[in-house]
Amino acid sequence: MEASWYLFVSSILFAIGIYGLLTRRNMIRMLLSAEIIFNAALLAFLSLASLDAGYGPVGGAIVVIAISLSAAEVGVIVSIAIMMFRMRRALDVYELKKFRG
Amino acid sequence: MNPLSDPLSVVFILSSLMSVVAAILIVHHKSIVYSAFFLSVLGVGNAILFTLLGFPIIALFHLSVYVGAAVTFILFSVVMLKEAPVVEPPVKALAVIAAGVLALIMMKIFSVFTAEPSFLLNYRDLTALLVTKYWFALIVAAIALVTTLIEAITLARREGV
Repeated sequence: MEASWYLFVSSILFAIGIYGLLTRRNMIRMLLSAEIIFNAALLAFLSLASLDAGYGPVGGAIVVIAISLSAAEVGVIVSIAIMMFRMRRALDVYELKKFRG
Repeated sequence: MNPLSDPLSVVFILSSLMSVVAAILIVHHKSIVYSAFFLSVLGVGNAILFTLLGFPIIALFHLSVYVGAAVTFILFSVVMLKEAPVVEPPVKALAVIAAGVLALIMMKIFSVFTAEPSFLLNYRDLTALLVTKYWFALIVAAIALVTTLIEAITLARREGV
């Protein structure tokens, strides 16, 4: 399979993620849409890294670090969502404006 | 050549379909719990694609850390939350057009890469690179994970919020 096919799949995933981010206001749903975009980016990154044997390990190393940081980011956002739900009983991102200090 | 005659092409088509359908269901499913579940299906589909590209170690890492930890964390957290009705912004038609145009532009750009991936990641190269060239990024990732852990414990123990 040519690398372009993998990149096409990545483009479709990216577009679906953007659609989800634009049409949802629920914080968790927006996080899930952002995670689709993250998966699309990983796929594009590895597809391009696999084309050159010299850059392959570099792409792998960066993706390993990106996945670790994504796990940390998920923890932070879900914690904020839980705190917001406790305080406001809602997950609407427009409610976040009221958290300004 | 018929792509269905090659087993790897069949695996690619099936895993791509799995990923795309899972992504659509994440955005469109009524239940947020099922949406989180379909994120793990997307993770599995992507891991298969990573293996086909020659990155089996990254695929295993993706399965264990991303699907096994991050997505499971979202799933269990979402179960605790009651989904409150939210008024969604009325921009669906505009969002479909924007996403469609974006996908077409990206496909046009990516159609240049016609070479076939012929690469297999050696885990020795990967670990050597991580501990020599990317050691600082590795430390930052570790600190970020520890900070998240501390934050989660603090929020869980906090009372009267």
